[in-house]
Amino acid sequence: MKRLQTEAVVLSLLEEMQEHGSWCGETHLQKATYFLQELLEVPLDFDFILYKHGPFSFDLRDEITAMRGDFLIKYKNRPYPYGPSLVQDAGGARLKERFPKTIGQYSKKVSFVAEILGDKGVSELERLGTALYFTRHQNGKDEPLNLQMHKLKPHISPEEAQEALQQVADIMEMAEKAKLVQ
Amino acid sequence: MSHQQEIRDPIHNFIRLNAEERKVLDSVPFQRLRHIHQLALTYLLYPGATHKRFEHSLGVMELAGRVYDVVTDPDNLIDTSVWELVPRKDRKDDLEYGYWRRVLRMAALCHDLGHLPFSHAAERDLLPDGWNHELLTLEIIRSEEMREIWDEIKINPEDVAKLAVGPENYKGKEYSDLEAILSEIIVGEAFGVDRIDYLLRDSHHIGVAYGRFDHYRLIDSLRILPRGDDSQEPGLGVDEGGLHSAEALILARYFMFTQVYCHHVRRIYDIHLKDFLIKWLPEGRFSTELDEHLAMTDDEINVALLRAANDARLPGHNEAKRIVRRNHFRLLYQRNPNDLEKNQEACRAVYESVSVSFGEDNVRFDSYRQKGGVLDFPVLGRDGRIASSYNMSKTLATVPVVAEDYVFISSEIREDAKRWLEKNRERIIASPREEDEGS
Repeated sequence: MKRLQTEAVVLSLLEEMQEHGSWCGETHLQKATYFLQELLEVPLDFDFILYKHGPFSFDLRDEITAMRGDFLIKYKNRPYPYGPSLVQDAGGARLKERFPKTIGQYSKKVSFVAEILGDKGVSELERLGTALYFTRHQNGKDEPLNLQMHKLKPHISPEEAQEALQQVADIMEMAEKAKLVQ
Repeated sequence: MSHQQEIRDPIHNFIRLNAEERKVLDSVPFQRLRHIHQLALTYLLYPGATHKRFEHSLGVMELAGRVYDVVTDPDNLIDTSVWELVPRKDRKDDLEYGYWRRVLRMAALCHDLGHLPFSHAAERDLLPDGWNHELLTLEIIRSEEMREIWDEIKINPEDVAKLAVGPENYKGKEYSDLEAILSEIIVGEAFGVDRIDYLLRDSHHIGVAYGRFDHYRLIDSLRILPRGDDSQEPGLGVDEGGLHSAEALILARYFMFTQVYCHHVRRIYDIHLKDFLIKWLPEGRFSTELDEHLAMTDDEINVALLRAANDARLPGHNEAKRIVRRNHFRLLYQRNPNDLEKNQEACRAVYESVSVSFGEDNVRFDSYRQKGGVLDFPVLGRDGRIASSYNMSKTLATVPVVAEDYVFISSEIREDAKRWLEKNRERIIASPREEDEGS
C-alpha cells in the first residue's frame, strides 16, 4: 500500500473507533492498528514491537505525527487528567475522498476492529494487545504465556493476562467465523 | 577505579569521568568521534558549527548520570507503584543501583559510536538496506576491542547496547520496564539527554539563543511516574514545578528544527554531499565492515572533496565544486498550506514536473517530517495527583509539527524555472484521483 493509502485507512479506523465510543488517543490508535494489521492482515507495513502499553510501532507513531504535520489529523484536549484525543483535521476528509476504493476494500475489517476495541480503555487495550503479541510470538518456552506476560509487564497480573489471552482467542475465532481472515 | 578525571566543557563546565569510563574514552571507536561533525556541513551556513560527536557524547554521559541520580533519589520516588521497579541507594540492592548507573553512563557515552562521516547527512541512502548508525553502534559495542573493556570492568555489553540505542532500534529485543525507562533517559523523545545536550550544544556553537532552556530545573524535576489515566505503566514525567522548563525544551526543539536543522541551505548541502559520496565511495555505499567504518571520518571526505572540486577528472567533481565553491542549488518551491489543500503531495508533483521540463540532474527534492509522537507525559501536580502534560500545559498543546518539503533547482537555470513554475503551478498541483494512481 502506498503511504497516502495507508493514511486513508488509518483515518477511517480513527473515525470508526470514535463512532464506537472510543475517545481514541494515540495508544488506542496504536493498538487498534496492531489488531487490524496483525490479526486481520491488512497490509499496512508497520513494524510493531512489545514496548510501552503493549505492542507499539515507532513507524506508526512517526506516521501519526506526519499526518498531523500534513493537517490530516489533530489533537483535541480532554478533561483532566487525561491525555488528548486524535480527531480528523481539515485535510482528512479530502484524503478519504481521494481513496474510496482502498477504504472500501478494508472497511469490514476496520469495522470489526472498531466494534471489538472501540469501548476499551488504555489498560484493557494494553492487556489485549500484549496478549495478541504473545499469542503470535509463541517462543516455545515451557512457561505458560500468562506468566511470561506477567514477567515482562509486572503490572499485569497472571490472572488478568490469562483472561486477556482467552479474550484474544475468542476474537480470533470471531474473525474467522466472519471470514475476515483466512 | 574511583579516580575521577575532569574535562572542561562549554555547556556543562566540567564533565567528570572515572577510570572505567576513561577506558572507553580512549578506545579507537570513541576517539574517532573527534573527527565527525555533529551538524555535518552546517558550518557552511553557521561558521561556529564545527563541534564534534566526541564532546556531545561526553555531555550526554554527564547528563545521564545527573538524571539517574534525580529519578532514583528516594525522596523523588513519590508514587508507590514505582518503588519496586527502581534500584535504590538506600536499600540492600545497592549493587544493582551502582551497576545500572554505570551501564547508563556507558550507554550514553557509546550511543553515537556508529555514526557515519558527517553524521546524518547521507545515512539514509548510503548504507545497505536495513542498516543505520544505531545498528553500527550495536556492532561496535559488541566488537572485540570493546568486549575486552566490558569484560575487564564487568559490565554486560548487551545491557549497554539496549540502553544506548533504545527499543526503536534494537529489533527483536524485549525491554523490561526498568530498561525501557533507562533507555528513555538517553534517547527518549520528551526528556532524552541526547536531545537536551544537542539542543544546548548546537545553539551554543551556532550562536542562536532559541535552543537554550533551563535544563538544570528540568532535570531536577524529572520523576518516574505512572501515566495519569487508567494505565499503571511507568515512564519519565515531571514534577509540576518543572513543567515550564519542559515547555521551554519543547519550544527550543521546535525552533531549532525550523530555523537550523531544516534550513533549506543546510538541506541542499546534505544532498550535494550525498550525490558526491555516491560517485566517490566504492560501489556508491559506505561499508558496514567495522574496520572500514572506523577508518572513515569527515577528514578523509573533506580531503576528497577539495581534490575533486579542483580536478574535473575525478569522480564527483561537479558535486564537490557545488559544496567547496558554495554554488549550491537554489530553492525553487517549498511546502505551501494553500497548495496542500489541493494536493497532499503538491511538492512532489512540482518536483516531478520540473524534472521533466528541466532535466533530473538539475532538480532535487527534499522532504522532512518530525519524528516522534505526541508529548504526552505524566505530570505530578502539587496536590499529589498525576495528570497528562497535555492537560496541564496549554503551550504543549499548540506546538506545531515540523514539516518541510523543498524543490531545489540548479542556480544557473533558476530564473527560467521560476517563470515556468509561475505559469504551470496550478495545473501541476491539481489533485489526482484514485483511479489515476493504481493501488
